[in-house]
Amino acid sequence: MERVKTGIKGLDEMLGGGLLPQTANLVEGAPGTGKTILGMQFLYSGITQFNEPGLILTFEQDTQQYLHDAASFGWDLKRLQQEGALRIIRSSPEVTLADLEHVGGQIETAARQMGARRILVDSLSHFEHLASDPVAYRRLVYGFINGLKREGLTSILTRESPALLGEPSEDEEDIAFVVDAYILLRYVEIKSVIHRAVLVLKHRGSDHAKDIRRYEITDRGLVVRDKFEGQEGILSGTPRSMADFFDKAFLGERR
Amino acid sequence: MSPGDKELASRLMGDMDPELLQFLKSYVTSFIKWDLMRFFHDNPYATDTAENIARFIGRDRETVADELAEMVESGVLQSHQVGDLIVYTLATDPHIRELMDRFVLACDDRQFRIKAIYHIIRGST
Repeated sequence: MERVKTGIKGLDEMLGGGLLPQTANLVEGAPGTGKTILGMQFLYSGITQFNEPGLILTFEQDTQQYLHDAASFGWDLKRLQQEGALRIIRSSPEVTLADLEHVGGQIETAARQMGARRILVDSLSHFEHLASDPVAYRRLVYGFINGLKREGLTSILTRESPALLGEPSEDEEDIAFVVDAYILLRYVEIKSVIHRAVLVLKHRGSDHAKDIRRYEITDRGLVVRDKFEGQEGILSGTPRSMADFFDKAFLGERR
Repeated sequence: MSPGDKELASRLMGDMDPELLQFLKSYVTSFIKWDLMRFFHDNPYATDTAENIARFIGRDRETVADELAEMVESGVLQSHQVGDLIVYTLATDPHIRELMDRFVLACDDRQFRIKAIYHIIRGST
């Protein structure tokens, strides 16, 4: 099966080889977990390793901020934009939705002119203020995602999780039904040290790793490491070691 | 402008790149336009409404809408109807883009900035 590789060491393996073409893939996490870095790495790898031009659609961050942040990982997005392999479009959700409905809109034109195959949407959270309730929000995101798929794009959609530690609320999980893959980035506290954890919660039409793995943000981007061994309750943000859990369950509090 | 002011302006602008001086005189006629130039320079593929652009640059919506309309008229920007919305993008004219890039880069120099500020202030009186 054809795969769209993220180029992120360890993540493609977790995804069963990579993302599936023309799919919408949600990356959710608290501020600072590296959602945008993951998305930029996906685009940079796509252009430089797989000759797949890409778009960044941003609703908040300045174009210069992406160029600056990317440069700190050695990714020269400025050059890629000058060469026409990348385009950073700064817009708003309402304009984007109208644009995708419109034949010959900016995204459609850019995708066709550049032969774009990948897109980073940063972030989906900004669509929330356009919808009056969760059902309307879901419908709106569904329409948006289908617009991107129609243009032949494989997308990474970032979404902010308000909780720094712990599991997402039911409202947050709701959007998971409309996306093809759902990748969670979490902070985990183990013995007073904060670690970063990644989990592929869903990957429609593909096998994927079910374990929770450690990842790091290095000077060359995200690198997924080994899985958390001997810990349980990772997604709670404050896991207990299996040994402690066993002691408490079978030996009580005396020990 | 009094003869004394004209002389001062002439001395200040004397050593400025003539093309940039012409650009300044023709296109950067207010501080809001200056902000908008920087916004579109930093975000060359921006597509947004007057309201959102105003919010982003931290200026009054109605004033920004008027300035955007003038920039469309002068050929720096283009406006498009997208559904019910009017959105603004940078004009595709490579010469205008190049001059805008040069203007924004020149603004990194304090002396140039002072001259440009002086020009806008004098132009608005």
